[in-house]
Amino acid sequence: MPQATRDIQRRIKSVKNTKKITKAMELVAAAKMRKAVAKVLATRSYADLAWNTVLHLVKKLDTSRHPFFRESKEVRNVLIVLISTNRGLCGSFNLQLVQKVVDSIKLHHPDTRVTDVITFGSKGRNEARRHHLNIMADFAKEDITQSSTIINPITHMVVKDFIARKYDKVFVAYTDFASSLQQQPHVRQLLPIVPEIDERLGYITHQKEKEIVNINVENFSDFLFEPSRKEILNSFLPRLVEIQIFQAVLESEASEHSARMLAMRNASDAAGDMIDELTLAYNQARQAGITAEIAEISAGTAALQ
Amino acid sequence: MKEINLKIVTPERIVFSEKISQVSLSTTTGQITILPQHIPLVSQLTAGEISVKYNGNEEDLMAISGGFVEVLPDQVVVLVDTAERAEEIDEQKAEQARQRAEEILKTKVVDAKEFAFLTAQIEKELVRLKVARKYKKRGIRTGLNS
Repeated sequence: MPQATRDIQRRIKSVKNTKKITKAMELVAAAKMRKAVAKVLATRSYADLAWNTVLHLVKKLDTSRHPFFRESKEVRNVLIVLISTNRGLCGSFNLQLVQKVVDSIKLHHPDTRVTDVITFGSKGRNEARRHHLNIMADFAKEDITQSSTIINPITHMVVKDFIARKYDKVFVAYTDFASSLQQQPHVRQLLPIVPEIDERLGYITHQKEKEIVNINVENFSDFLFEPSRKEILNSFLPRLVEIQIFQAVLESEASEHSARMLAMRNASDAAGDMIDELTLAYNQARQAGITAEIAEISAGTAALQ
Repeated sequence: MKEINLKIVTPERIVFSEKISQVSLSTTTGQITILPQHIPLVSQLTAGEISVKYNGNEEDLMAISGGFVEVLPDQVVVLVDTAERAEEIDEQKAEQARQRAEEILKTKVVDAKEFAFLTAQIEKELVRLKVARKYKKRGIRTGLNS
C-alpha cells in the first residue's frame, strides 16, 4: 500500500484512541458532576437559612459596633479568596474566573488599593501568578470537598486578618453553578457583612429555587439571645463566613465538573468529525492508488501486444 | 392546637421540615422547649437530642451536634453540623465510634485543638447512642401495646 494511505490510516487510529479517552473522561466528569450537583443543592438551603438569620438579626440590631459589620471609610487593603480547580481540561473555566477577578480589581481603583489573593486550587494559582496577582497563601484543594472542615484553615485566616484590620474587605471569587450548561464566574463580598450584599454584587442565580421567607421583622419585639448577644454573634458569624466559603467551593466544584463534561463532549465530537474527514481522504487516496495501478497494468499489457 | 414549622438543616441535607406542636432542644444554657408563639430567640445549641411532638401524641427523636436555633413567629430554624433521626442511627456503630474516639483520646493526644475535637466527637457519639437506645426502648414498648 502506498505511503499516503498508510499515513492517513495511522492518523485515523490515533484520533480514534483520543476519542475513546475523551469519551471516557466525559463519562467520569458526568458522574462526578451528578455527585457535586447533589451536594451543592443540599447545602444551598443551609446557606440560605443561615443568611436569612443574619438578615433578621441585622434588621433588629445595631450591628455597627461588631467587627464583622465594620465598614472602613477608606478601603485600602482587599483580600480575594480565589476558588478554582486542580485539574485542567475543563475549557476556559479557570481563565474566565481569573479574568473576572482581574477585571473587578481594575474596576475598583487599582492605584489606591492593594489586593491580596488566597488561592484554593492549583490551576487558579498558576493563572493568578501569570496575571501578577499578589498571592498571600495557597491552600491545597481536593478533587471533591467532603466536609466543611477542609476549608476551616481558610476561614480562620480570613476572619483573623479581617478582625486584625489587615484587610478592609474580603471577597470570594468562585464559579456559580446555574445549570450543567451554564456557569458564571462571580465575585462576592464576604466581609464586612452587608445586608444588601446580594443586590449589590449580582445575585446568586438560584434565586428562583429559593424559598421566599418573607417575614415582617417590624412586627415582633426584639430577639432574645441566649446566652448573650455578644456570644451568639461571636460564634455565629465566623460560622456564616465558613458556610459561605464552603458553599462557594461546592458551587465551583459542580461548575468545574459540568465545564469539564462539556469540554470533553466537544472534544469527542470534534474527534468524530475529524475521523469522518480522514476516512474520506483515506478512501480517495486508496481509490487514486487503485486507479493508478490499473492504468499501469493496462499500459503494460498494451505495450506487450 | 397551634402549630409551628420546624426546619432542621445540616450542610448536607434538610433533615426535617414539618409542622409540629412542640420541640425540645439543648442549648448551651440548658434544655429549652419551644411552643408556638414563642418570643423570637436566637441561641446556641450543644450536642444533644431534639425531641419533637406532633399535634397528636407521636414523638420523634433526633441526635444533633452543635449549632444554632432561630425562633421566628411562624417557624423554628435549627442550623446544625450534623443531625440524625433516631431510626437512622445504628446503635452498634455508634458504640464503636465512641469507643474508637475514646481510644484515640487515651493513646495519642497531640495538642489542645485535637483534644477539643475528640472530646466533641465523643460527646456527639454519646448523644447518638442515647437517642438510639431511647428509640429502641420506646419501639419495644409500643410493640407490646399494639
